[in-house]
Amino acid sequence: MEVKEIQEGQDVRDKNIRRHRRWGDFSVPLLPQFLLLPVFLFSILFFSSKLHAQTTQPSVAPAPSHDLGGVWMPFPDKKENGEPVISGIEEKTRPPLTPWGQARFDAAIPFLGPRVQPGKENNPSLRCEPESVPKSLILPNPFEIVQIPGRIFMFFEEFHLWRTIWTDGRPLPINPDPSYLGYSVGRWQGDTFIVETIGFNDKPWVDAYGNPRSEQMHLTERYRRIDHDTLELRIVMDDPKAYTKTWESSPRLFKFEPGWEIGEYFCVVDEEVDYAGRVRKPAGGDVTAPEK
Amino acid sequence: MKLAHLFLAPIVVLVLMPAAFAQNNNPPDAAKSATSAPGTSAALSHDLSGMWMPYSVHMDGIDEKLRPPLTAWGQARFDASAPLVGPRAVAGKENNPALHCEPEAVPKSLVLPNPFEIVEASGRVFMFFEQYHLWRTIWADGRPLPKDPDITFLGYSVGKWEGDTFVVDTIGMNDKPWVDSYGNPRSEQMHLTERYRRLDHDTLEMQIIMDDPKAYTKPWVSPPQKFKLEPNWEIAEFFCIVDEENNYGDAVRKPAGVAPK
Repeated sequence: MEVKEIQEGQDVRDKNIRRHRRWGDFSVPLLPQFLLLPVFLFSILFFSSKLHAQTTQPSVAPAPSHDLGGVWMPFPDKKENGEPVISGIEEKTRPPLTPWGQARFDAAIPFLGPRVQPGKENNPSLRCEPESVPKSLILPNPFEIVQIPGRIFMFFEEFHLWRTIWTDGRPLPINPDPSYLGYSVGRWQGDTFIVETIGFNDKPWVDAYGNPRSEQMHLTERYRRIDHDTLELRIVMDDPKAYTKTWESSPRLFKFEPGWEIGEYFCVVDEEVDYAGRVRKPAGGDVTAPEK
Repeated sequence: MKLAHLFLAPIVVLVLMPAAFAQNNNPPDAAKSATSAPGTSAALSHDLSGMWMPYSVHMDGIDEKLRPPLTAWGQARFDASAPLVGPRAVAGKENNPALHCEPEAVPKSLVLPNPFEIVEASGRVFMFFEQYHLWRTIWADGRPLPKDPDITFLGYSVGKWEGDTFVVDTIGMNDKPWVDSYGNPRSEQMHLTERYRRLDHDTLEMQIIMDDPKAYTKPWVSPPQKFKLEPNWEIAEFFCIVDEENNYGDAVRKPAGVAPK
């Protein structure tokens, strides 16, 4: 794999390993394909006057009420100059770290971003430790939401992770045991679904740059289905042990992908070690530095 | 087009309203009555959902006496595997890929001393295994097995009801995990069948059939395995962490490496 193919925050293996399939995909025979183009053009001409009369945008169905179910693929984040945004919180926008947080940050050696030290990276996800949330929410891979009475499941394609969000009205637990995923409860507030999670351990990074999280983190996710095909997510991190202030993400958008199935993508340690040696370390020099 | 939709919408609603009030086609949940017992003529429940804890797990490994003979390919794989437990265990030499947290997949995850949870939703049956936080999807919407599946750890699973038995078929599995703790192999040709029956409200029965002509000369049918419903349990978090596996191996497993007879 050429170094130049690696995009910020994106794992090149995604093209090879990800298995997005449309169930029932079939290939259209060649002859009808020749007819499709004239039919398509004709339809455009015929309906263009009607379309123009409505709006200049294609009309998308409104969001179904209180329904987040489906496979959601992140819109690629792009900065204004077209450069992809890395899945890391830049120091300029991140709240200041506490001394505890600073010590953790200094000890973290990422394989992306401005603090790379090739050969020294120590992101625990390289040994296939779970990344959990919020990291799993800002990956270039899809997730699927399934709703049943009293619970919402999220299935993340990257590393085959799943989580439960309890929606049966129960409160957050008091003094939960620390865990990778914490304990999540969710409720609707108008058209926004709010998830709150506590009970985290302090092992995973919250992003690719090595920003820390502590056991005191209270994570809030705010989901709003803007229309049928678009989901908006805002992440709020409140972790007084690690950061001096609350951090709120910019809105992240996801596209509804009907017919997709989450592909199998386990983290396998030998493959990670091999990939780090073959691809990440040679690429580890400042390929993807954001503007200073 | 929007005007047309407005016009049609009330008609569609009126036509579908009776259907909206109809329940699903499953038979009534007879098994919830306390008097329903296995083997009676009452229909068993078509609802497998709940937390299920095995009564006992005595099939940590498939006894060689009960296992079908291995093919030459299967024998080579078996000979190369060095298990942690059982009659072939040699302390310090174990090479089960699960020890560095490779997924165990099925059928191994079905015969663990940990619970799993079954959730039914949207034409699918989900299984959540506490051990190593594994989940799988069984497509129960009538679709057939794929003709040319991707080869993966979990394979591709479809399920359907045959009378009172929910039958799951899985193909498309890779040959990496062991099927048990003794190092018995699986190949890409394995066709795994699971048969589930909810004997009564609190009891699930499972049977596993492994048909893998590349590894075994005959299919293998497990003895029935029973599970108890645990209505108040929640799956606990139990990830496999490589450093913890290594530490536990050094501190506990290797000193204890030879299994008691």
